[in-house]
Amino acid sequence: MRTEHFIKQFIITQLSVCYLLLICHQLDGQNTIGGTNFNNVKVTTSNSQGRAIGEKTITDAGLQPNLNAASRFLGQATLGADLETISAVSETGFSKWIDAQTNIPIAFSLKTYVDELVEIYRDSLAANGEDPSEAYARSEYWRFAWWQYVMSAPDILRSRVALALSEIFVISENSPLEGETKGLASYYDLLLKHSFGNYRALLYDISTHPTMGIYLTFMNNSKTDIEDNQFPDENYAREVMQLFSIGLYELNLDGTRKLDGQGNFIPAYNNEDIAELAKVFTGFTWIDSPYFGSGARADTSYTRAMKIDNRYHEPGAKFLLNGDLVPNRNPVNGVADLEDAIDNLFYHPNVGPFLGFRLIQRLVKSNPSPAYVGRVASVFNDNGQGIRGDMKAIIRAILLDPEARDCALSEDPINGMLREPMVRYTHLARAFDAAAENSTRYQNRMSEFYGSTQQRPLSSPSVFNFFQPEFQPIGPIADMDMFGPEFQISNSLTTIGYTNEVYKWTFDEELMEYQGIYPYESRPAGTKVELNLDAEYQLVQQGKIEELLERFNLVLMHGKMTERTKGIIKDAVLEVPSDLLEYKMYLALFLTMISPDYLIMR
Amino acid sequence: MAHSKYTRRDFLGEASCAALGSMTMLSSLTNLKLLNALAQPAAVSSNNDYKALVCILLAGGNDSFNLLVPKETGEYEAYKVTRSDLALPNEVTPEGLLAPTLPISPLNTGGRAFGVHPSMPGVQQLFSQGNLAFLANIGTLIQPIANESEYRSGLKKIPLGLYSHSDQIQQWQTSIPQNREAIGWGGRLSDILMSTNANQRISMNISLSGRNVFQAGNMTLEYTISNQGNGSEGITPVSGYGYNGLLQRIRDNAVNSLLEDVYSNIFQSTISSLTKDSIDAQKEFANAIAQVPPFGTTFSAHYLSQNLRMVAKVIAARERLGFARQTFFMTFGGWDHHDEVLNNQLNMLGIVNNALREFYTVLEELNITDKVTTFTISDFARTLTSNGRGSDHAWGGNQIVMGGAVQGQRILGQFPDLSLSNNPLNVSDRGVMIPTTSTDSFFAEMALWYGVSPNDLTKILPNIGNFYSPGSGTPPIGFLL
Repeated sequence: MRTEHFIKQFIITQLSVCYLLLICHQLDGQNTIGGTNFNNVKVTTSNSQGRAIGEKTITDAGLQPNLNAASRFLGQATLGADLETISAVSETGFSKWIDAQTNIPIAFSLKTYVDELVEIYRDSLAANGEDPSEAYARSEYWRFAWWQYVMSAPDILRSRVALALSEIFVISENSPLEGETKGLASYYDLLLKHSFGNYRALLYDISTHPTMGIYLTFMNNSKTDIEDNQFPDENYAREVMQLFSIGLYELNLDGTRKLDGQGNFIPAYNNEDIAELAKVFTGFTWIDSPYFGSGARADTSYTRAMKIDNRYHEPGAKFLLNGDLVPNRNPVNGVADLEDAIDNLFYHPNVGPFLGFRLIQRLVKSNPSPAYVGRVASVFNDNGQGIRGDMKAIIRAILLDPEARDCALSEDPINGMLREPMVRYTHLARAFDAAAENSTRYQNRMSEFYGSTQQRPLSSPSVFNFFQPEFQPIGPIADMDMFGPEFQISNSLTTIGYTNEVYKWTFDEELMEYQGIYPYESRPAGTKVELNLDAEYQLVQQGKIEELLERFNLVLMHGKMTERTKGIIKDAVLEVPSDLLEYKMYLALFLTMISPDYLIMR
Repeated sequence: MAHSKYTRRDFLGEASCAALGSMTMLSSLTNLKLLNALAQPAAVSSNNDYKALVCILLAGGNDSFNLLVPKETGEYEAYKVTRSDLALPNEVTPEGLLAPTLPISPLNTGGRAFGVHPSMPGVQQLFSQGNLAFLANIGTLIQPIANESEYRSGLKKIPLGLYSHSDQIQQWQTSIPQNREAIGWGGRLSDILMSTNANQRISMNISLSGRNVFQAGNMTLEYTISNQGNGSEGITPVSGYGYNGLLQRIRDNAVNSLLEDVYSNIFQSTISSLTKDSIDAQKEFANAIAQVPPFGTTFSAHYLSQNLRMVAKVIAARERLGFARQTFFMTFGGWDHHDEVLNNQLNMLGIVNNALREFYTVLEELNITDKVTTFTISDFARTLTSNGRGSDHAWGGNQIVMGGAVQGQRILGQFPDLSLSNNPLNVSDRGVMIPTTSTDSFFAEMALWYGVSPNDLTKILPNIGNFYSPGSGTPPIGFLL
């Protein structure tokens, strides 16, 4: 990575750099400078139902830069935030807000929500004189649950981190897990649980979750049988090292690769290491398995951690990395072996930079400097209280790092990241408090969205996620040897596909793809989920197009809308016949959501 | 980060515009397109000059020692012992649970008999008709590795990340196993040959599976289509608000203005030019496809068949679109059969069989079989031994090449002994074969057929000199030339 070099090169060429440093100098408090263009902006506050109940006018000429800074922070730290949240965070300050967020207990379980939906299905069957036992967790339920959590839970930092984790510790319904709704919901609950926990517990729990056992095929993985030339399945052993913990090469603390005497990268493990670790992942089977090798007894089997059947667990010692060893245990003890192997990975010096780099890419930017990665990795290694792997501390370090917070960097030509399609989607829905009039549910099956953008949660084409951390789109990004992971799913179909999704969300007012809870349900009135654009509509009525765009700029673009972009959108809106007020509003929102100023978070 | 040996700058310097030394690192894709247009030689496109390469990636690592299986008694016995519960029968068994492999009689194996997977009667037929060949024990190599002791000696260069999906999939598309490259050999091919196409607005590299390494060039980006309708949809037209013509114009103007603006941020400039190019290309492309008459050939419902049907449509529209050279790419995933390999292959190789058979039939209908060469690639073959239910990641394996220009009914390269012991090619007690033919040789043969001059071969396949002498006058393998 040559990021630092380019950062230096470009920062000095930025004429605006001094100005930006000034207005962004103090982001995390009440001290503010400048911002005289932003007097008298009205801030709509909302109640918990997402409906406006009042307004307050911010007359403090200096507050607006803080609102933009808060918006930008929340663009990194959440799946979308409304004006009220932005305003609150600008007053709380980022550090305190992170404290508060990480202390919110998890009040939502996707698995429980899925169970509730099954109950509703069951009741409906009973009410119709049909057999209630035919109710089951339909494949969309887990997406309903996901939207419910994302839209309604107060722990909005956790919701962002969990989605990031789901793109690192990948399972996917594009696999034999298709339709295993409870299993997918349960796995996501695990990610929620560990978002602010410890990485070691996360690694242990995903390694024993039955969905992972099925996805990476170590469920019912048996010990070596020499006579039949049968050996343990190596799939999980390889991927847990390559993708979930240490990566392919030995890393320095700052994420750059170590070199040997000849200047070559040093592989972190070889095929023999994989074969050895594969022995640890033998004997794993369903917790309620009547015999080794049986299939799942019920869909709830997918929600309970696997057990290790010692009769099928590889006996004897196993070599681990860096000279460690699983001892020859007698009697065979698969759980103890697993604990040793997880420790071996957990204490590997690669984990901090490996995980740090990936989380920074998900939350903040595609090309963090080695120094940034190094700072986060140091916190992984020691949270300041001697604890390794503290997720809270890592998230805090990522979000409060100068490289994440410094607005001057955001004007650097190589800074930023392409927002991923599913985050653009939640971003819009949350920014404008999407809700239905007579329902608290978000029954969004995300089917067309998936077809258009190739993205939805836990649906990547392979364990390598929707895109890989080191993907380089051709053009200036590859020319400069930089990464742009999200471009891997940006192509001639999905760029237009996304545009047409925005068309549906705006002009068509079809924000979510409703589906009934049970098959023959007639859709109740008032279940249509809509954006709350009441205040925006008022601005259009008053002819205040400039203010309308400022609102979109603040909430969606964190103040990054350029004068050029603003001019293009404003001219288009003004050209629309004056009786089409709603169309004017939607045109402004549509153009905002597809503009490069929005698509690139910086 | 391993840096590309052949950067765009090198490429331009060597190949097309040596005088452009002042190009800055910030040159945009658009600028490069422009430069290339200025540097391009006269187009040689004519109605008869057309060639297409169709690449089918069997992602996940096809267990290809069950795709092509030895049938001679001694060789089959070794296969059966090694593969144990994964072995396909040689003949009809009393239990009849598994069908035996379908016999084929290659012209070039000195009478050694082989079988193809029982789900592939169409492939058996295409082979016997001389329109399909197999590449045996082919894989990623930087230089030849003769045996296990050379492999372990530390003196030979070994591909990076051997046995890892991400690396091996990438290297099959780049043919540069010593680096992690974002540019594929199909992309390098098109960098050189794109100027032969009259159409410079739509990429000559058409993907049915989105972004891929194979088709990514220094100056070429794939054009992604779907197998539905006319291959692509434009931005939804304005409707329902009245004034539709006016509103449409206002919106499209604004969209264009946003996308055509100059952005200094590299992410913004990339997404804006990508989106703009997509919108522009879509109209022209869909219009041309819409005019292709319906085919008589029928296709299966599986997306692989439907993808190849769309490829045939694009080929049928080649003159209207103005293409003399095209590549096509598609992924058929799900071959990572650590589990249930026998059942899954029965289903999935059957899908490949149908798709290839149907595609060849429609190419016959279009009278263009000799101008289209179709080939499979896959991460790796799988361990010859079982893990009890499936097989794990290995190295050398077998691939298919199909086309009217292919000298078929041959097994190219050396089909290996499949014994575990006393086998110099086996590097693991799991049964992992050192490839005896490199991806370079395979791809070089197709590149030369496609129209690359021998002098340019190293620009496309930098390692080819380790396997083949481009000036030798003989073909690298000998299935197309």
